[in-house]
Amino acid sequence: MIQNLNFPYKPSEHEAEKASNSYLMSLVALVAGLPLPIINLIATFFFFIANRKGTYFVRWHCTQALFSQAGLLCMNSFGFWWTIDIIFYNYPISGSYFAYLFTVILFNITEFISTIYLAVTTRKGKHVELWFFGPLTNLICKPDASAQ
Amino acid sequence: MHQLNKVIIQGIVLLALFFGLFFGLSQIDFIKVFHIKQTKLNTASKLGDVLWKQVEESEIIIHNDTLQKTLDSLISPILEANDIPKDSIHLHLVENSQVNAFAMPNNHLVVYTGLIKDCKKQEALQAVLGHEIAHIRKNHVMQKLSKEIGLSVLLSASGGNGALIREILKTLSSSAYDRALEKEADLTAVDYLMKANINPKPMADFMYQLAQKDVMPDGFGWISTHPESEDRAQYILSYVKGKKIGNKQMLSSKGWETFKERIAEED
Repeated sequence: MIQNLNFPYKPSEHEAEKASNSYLMSLVALVAGLPLPIINLIATFFFFIANRKGTYFVRWHCTQALFSQAGLLCMNSFGFWWTIDIIFYNYPISGSYFAYLFTVILFNITEFISTIYLAVTTRKGKHVELWFFGPLTNLICKPDASAQ
Repeated sequence: MHQLNKVIIQGIVLLALFFGLFFGLSQIDFIKVFHIKQTKLNTASKLGDVLWKQVEESEIIIHNDTLQKTLDSLISPILEANDIPKDSIHLHLVENSQVNAFAMPNNHLVVYTGLIKDCKKQEALQAVLGHEIAHIRKNHVMQKLSKEIGLSVLLSASGGNGALIREILKTLSSSAYDRALEKEADLTAVDYLMKANINPKPMADFMYQLAQKDVMPDGFGWISTHPESEDRAQYILSYVKGKKIGNKQMLSSKGWETFKERIAEED
């Protein structure tokens, strides 16, 4: 699910730190905003906005962090509102609900571990791409002239 | 193009993994594994029952079969015409001079005798009942409570916290819903009445009647909690304009007057 790849250039110490921070941002927000999944997305989004004019390496990793958070938001939100409906609106509780809950929890744990791994490796200046979100970022995030 | 293909293939694999895992886990009967009983997680019904107990303790409930039957005969055509199961609404008659009726969680509907006495026509009472049924059916009750009291507090209240229960009851019986929710309940009530071939116009008359009393400060629950009665009367009238209106009456004029007299005797 995670691939170590070569980046077009060797990022500087400062870039590696900023790129690593984009993942840390979503981790910190995850702790703060656990019941409301939108909070980590908002935090990552603002970090992305702040760095969207940064160097290629920083931009690339901010975008990947944003995409992976957006993916999680969709599945977490659905689970969140399903839970609210059960608690407050007499929705019947079913086996499917638990199946969905555990699926989402497993995906969240995987995402959590990958995010820690990404934060650590990008801090070392290595370029790492997540499954699906990496290639998606490659489609959108193109190198600028300064990165060549 | 190569990148795009990679994204699509990996996206499909990721989705397949998600749904595969979900489908796989769905095969496990978690309800049995966790020994879950449906009622334990049903906050609305627990809260409704706790609140109803509080009403029973603090108010005088009328257990007169004749009056209850008459009240049932007024509400039944509305429920039948709108495919609402009869046993899904728990209608209670309470001796209280306030002009008030309110809905509580778990489909409890409380009607004060003061309201019945103040209704000149049976259709006006049916309209108020329709309005409260609309609040119940559209889930307004729990929406209002979760907004005003808070989700976490409600959860703890269903355990039975006396002061909190009284506070929730006060919120339900003497404060209005959002204006949008009130309007939705009004218009839904009109729809309910029209489906049951009951004339909704007396509902507007009742609103005008309330508007005249709007100046009164206390003791008129449905008036003080439902502001802008005149506006409401107007949008109800414009909503029914041009629509086919029935004129079905459940009680004869004499029957309605007798019912009101008996209600007055109970007071």
